[in-house]
Amino acid sequence: MKKECRIVLPFYKTAFAAAFVVILSLVRGVSMSLEIGIALEPAMAVLAAAFCADTYVLEIVSGRSEVWRLYPVRNRMCVVGRRLVIQELYLLLLAAAGYGCFFLFQGREIFSFMNPKPVGELQRFLVYLGAIMVTLVFWGILSHTIASLCRNLWCGIGGSLILWILTFSERGDRCLGPWNVFSYTFRNVEDSSDMSWLLGKGVCIICSVAMCAALPVILKKRG
Amino acid sequence: MSIQIKNLTVTFKNGVTAIDHGNLEIPHGIFGLLGENGAGKTTLMRVLTTILTPSGGTVMLDGIPYEERNYETIQKKIGYLPQEIDLYPGLTVQECLEYMGDLSGIPRRICRKRITYYLEKTSLTKHRRKKMRQLSGGMKRRVGLIQALLGEPEFLIIDEPTTGLDPEERIRIRNLLVDFSENRTILFSTHVVEDLAATCSRLAVMKKGQFLYAGGVQELVDQAKGHVWSCMTSDPVKAQEVEQRYLVSAKQYTEGGIQIRILSRERPHISCRPEQATLEDAYIYLTNQ
Repeated sequence: MKKECRIVLPFYKTAFAAAFVVILSLVRGVSMSLEIGIALEPAMAVLAAAFCADTYVLEIVSGRSEVWRLYPVRNRMCVVGRRLVIQELYLLLLAAAGYGCFFLFQGREIFSFMNPKPVGELQRFLVYLGAIMVTLVFWGILSHTIASLCRNLWCGIGGSLILWILTFSERGDRCLGPWNVFSYTFRNVEDSSDMSWLLGKGVCIICSVAMCAALPVILKKRG
Repeated sequence: MSIQIKNLTVTFKNGVTAIDHGNLEIPHGIFGLLGENGAGKTTLMRVLTTILTPSGGTVMLDGIPYEERNYETIQKKIGYLPQEIDLYPGLTVQECLEYMGDLSGIPRRICRKRITYYLEKTSLTKHRRKKMRQLSGGMKRRVGLIQALLGEPEFLIIDEPTTGLDPEERIRIRNLLVDFSENRTILFSTHVVEDLAATCSRLAVMKKGQFLYAGGVQELVDQAKGHVWSCMTSDPVKAQEVEQRYLVSAKQYTEGGIQIRILSRERPHISCRPEQATLEDAYIYLTNQ
């Protein structure tokens, strides 16, 4: 696991991701704590796509994939799975830290607008964590899958970005409604009883499971 | 372990035929593969490692046909060192080899023993704690070779294993490969003819996707016997004329003048003496016929 961390989390990658979250929390203004999740979700989706695209492609770029082809598919799957888990955990940590950063940098403004209820705030944060976890997993696996299929990092990032543009738009919201992968962002924040956004997250989970199931075939055919 | 290749053809999507109806038998021991750049050597190795599926023909490994259903069985028997491989720059030599050993499914205890053994054999023991990015090109090449040997494969395919190594290290690697080849098959592709002369008894020569020669090293050398000549001249114009007229395999400025090694079926028109043919002479003679 230690070796895996050093392979998939080199300094430049961890630093750019952390800087991205810090800068976002500095420049993206929010007026209420309710809006933090909305501000973070689409941005974290882009970050996850860029972050996880090279999970396997780094083996292709370095020429190691030719040796990897000789390893048992099961072992290769385990390694790719471990790498994804490590990256997703790091991103989740950043997402949680990013939520905190908003309070840190914009705390005064946020608190002046909201009704201070610590329990509600914690609940809101936990809901955000759950939603963002699904978002990170979906976009990370998506970019990794496209990149592995095309054997190209930029295809992974670009392909994910196209879907991001399509879904994170007014038209995307209108067409897909609660089934949109960004349903958490598009939900009515003032109506906490409306849980229809869970449908969108369900779509993310189903798609992620399907992509994971296709991974052995992709590694075998395109590895 | 032996490999039979019959009528092998590899045509890429862009229409380029990298191997054109090739027939070859690779017996056990070290088998050399020689050829100019773009001759099809790497393509052949990629087919043998199951990375590339041929467009036509058959390949058999110890009677097992190269078909998708047999790929897993075949892959277990193979170790491969590609021409270009950049091993994990952030890991140390030891970690990198352990990681690759884990991936190939070698039990950890056995893997560590083998790593120690091969690091010793390749004079890398004192560098085991160094990060891969800190190693020289030759050292990286040796680590690459160790990863291919780790699984103790029955069929080892190595593409330019001695690139970037100093003469002493090259000899050490050659000896390691000779020891390793006992009861195994090694396909050794290189441009360094000297390495093949020192390790192989059989080899194949490729040119433009075809096998020009496949057989014993001595038989290939014999083909050039009586066609190697050496002449000496102090006149640079004459030397240039010789170069234009004949196939020259070596040229050297000495105190007595310019010494030229000529490959020619007929005795050259200038004063010269016959020379002993080497494998390099034979290779150049064959590929330029």
